[in-house]
Amino acid sequence: MTTVEVEHIRKTFGSMCAVDDVSFDVEKGGIFGLLGPNGAGKTTSIRIILDIFKPDGGRVAILGGPMTEAKKNLIGYLPEERGLYQDISLERCLTYLATLKGLSRSEARQRIEPFLERFDLADHRKKKLKELSKGMQQKAQVIATLVHRPQLIIIDEPFAALDPLNTQMVKDILIEQRDRGATIIMSTHQMHQVEELCDRLVLINKGKAVLYGKLDTIRREFSGHDVLVRTPGAIPPLPGVIESKPHNGSVRLSLAEHTTPQDILRELVQQNVPLEQFEIAMPTLDEIFIQIVRDSGERE
Amino acid sequence: MKKAWQVFLYEYTRHVLRKRFIFGLLSIPLFIGVIMLVSVLAVLLTSNKAPIGYVDQSGVLANPLPLPKKSGLFDQQVPMLAYSDEAEARQALKSDKIQAYFVLGPDYLQTSHAQLVYLKEPDASIQSQFRDFLRINLLAGQPADIAKRLNDGSQFIIQSMDGSRQAGGNQWYSIIVPLAAGILFMIVIMTSGGYLLHAVVEEKENRTIEIVVTSLSPGQLMAGKVAGNICVGLTQILFWIFLALVGISIGSRSLGWVRNLDISPPIRFLILATLVPSFVMIAGLMAAIGSTVTESREASQISGLFTLPIMAPIYLFYPLISNPNGTLALVLSFFPLTAPVTLPLRAGFTVVPTPQLILNLLVLVVSAAGSIWLAGRTFRLGMLRYGKRVTLREIFSRSA
Repeated sequence: MTTVEVEHIRKTFGSMCAVDDVSFDVEKGGIFGLLGPNGAGKTTSIRIILDIFKPDGGRVAILGGPMTEAKKNLIGYLPEERGLYQDISLERCLTYLATLKGLSRSEARQRIEPFLERFDLADHRKKKLKELSKGMQQKAQVIATLVHRPQLIIIDEPFAALDPLNTQMVKDILIEQRDRGATIIMSTHQMHQVEELCDRLVLINKGKAVLYGKLDTIRREFSGHDVLVRTPGAIPPLPGVIESKPHNGSVRLSLAEHTTPQDILRELVQQNVPLEQFEIAMPTLDEIFIQIVRDSGERE
Repeated sequence: MKKAWQVFLYEYTRHVLRKRFIFGLLSIPLFIGVIMLVSVLAVLLTSNKAPIGYVDQSGVLANPLPLPKKSGLFDQQVPMLAYSDEAEARQALKSDKIQAYFVLGPDYLQTSHAQLVYLKEPDASIQSQFRDFLRINLLAGQPADIAKRLNDGSQFIIQSMDGSRQAGGNQWYSIIVPLAAGILFMIVIMTSGGYLLHAVVEEKENRTIEIVVTSLSPGQLMAGKVAGNICVGLTQILFWIFLALVGISIGSRSLGWVRNLDISPPIRFLILATLVPSFVMIAGLMAAIGSTVTESREASQISGLFTLPIMAPIYLFYPLISNPNGTLALVLSFFPLTAPVTLPLRAGFTVVPTPQLILNLLVLVVSAAGSIWLAGRTFRLGMLRYGKRVTLREIFSRSA
């Protein structure tokens, strides 16, 4: 079941095409990565999904159809441009934003309380936002995004300005939200976070979707023809290996076109080479990202 | 509507409960009150309450009737003491028993001349009191109604051709009221507009706007903001009107003209009919400015350009009242930014023809609707734009 369907959306600002024929689906109950370098069109895509911008072409269905006022209460959004009302107290600000998501004031206060405790902000509730540190304000925004228990959570660079401790806490919260059935779209350019959290992703570069699908499938597609091997001693010469080079304590073997990893494993076993590690070398998302972005640059 | 109500409550309470607002609300009436108190005290403390003497050689004050008692703060009467001759009166004056004395010669009834003798010139009210005292005694033998009519004196009343308005020499306050209403009106719309302007810019500056517009529609957001900030202005004006009414009820005991203070129904209607569309128009314009710019300072500079035309009728007060149906008055009545202050001002000095008035109000209503449309359009275009101002071409472009 899909929570968000994006079909061929297009948006131009003056002569600049920010999003060009981008399509993807976000499945219910998963964490979906919206990736891309700075200025790729991620935030514009999010704003189109949220009906902040009208697309020049294409269609978006969110929670089963076009955006409505009622659906806004089912969505939690943490924008990249962080900000809260600076001249009012933390508690008042969070309560006000929660009431805009359809909660009553008393309901909002009840739900905010455990978040304040969890984020170590309970003692700061009466302080004005401008008196809080950047990290505290960031945590306050996460609370504002989640307090109304949204079905769809869209977060743009959620870990910016957070220390490792709070980064882990936000990650745990995102996993909790997914486990309770919420769908999460996470826009970021921190690839290791995507590898850790996301099931599916779309990579946007210069306004176009250049990569889309399940994370595992994508990594397999880009895995190439290399294997990682670690042995106590030196690896003997093996047929079908074009190149071997050290890789984090192992050796990375690049295989000839018609040689399979199974051929290499068989050869090693036949030669009685003791093995400590044998695995297909999967590229990191960072490597895939760099390769794709570089390739599209070269094509132009 | 529930969300627009939440925005309204937030916008209203964040200003009204702020110390700065309460200080501003109280400081102006307090300032006026202190000035009035100082003036009253100065009058009371400097006025000489010593008796006045008189030497009546004409016999008109042989069996004098006293002045009727007055209760007003500024109507305090000094005692009138009779002296048989000038030497006795002069002696009393030198020994400070009296502050001055009048001498009515034997031919007073023929000449109407009285002589005032003093060491230090007394207040003008002393002469006025003695004049009243003389008049009462001169009319003592007349029937009561004739005496009253003579005492009231002449009154010139100018009436408009249609009979709807009149003005008299003792009704000068009917001119002051529309002027005061115009100034008060201007202060309030500028204050409300200013609050609204900063409310819109602030959300852009602190980047909250993106969260807010994903929680409710821009229409609901603007409705809540406009209503909230207009109510802040109305709170100000109603509080000041309340204080003014309290002041009038206290002042009416001391000042006769305050007792007679009344605003004619057409002017009352005009002020109200002008107030609502003007508020909406200014609010819409301020919201539009707030949406196009990215910083409060820039917003204040641009909004300052709107202050000039709104205040123009005050600067042009004299030419405006000299010819309240002239070309200048007509132009200022039709221009939406000058109309809010011009219309009540003109109505204080002339009868604005009804068709013209309807047309003026229609222009204001259309302008109010236009400014709300403009606000909505610029808000949609400019709400997430930082560092680059929305241009007029973009606002009026069909594809926008």
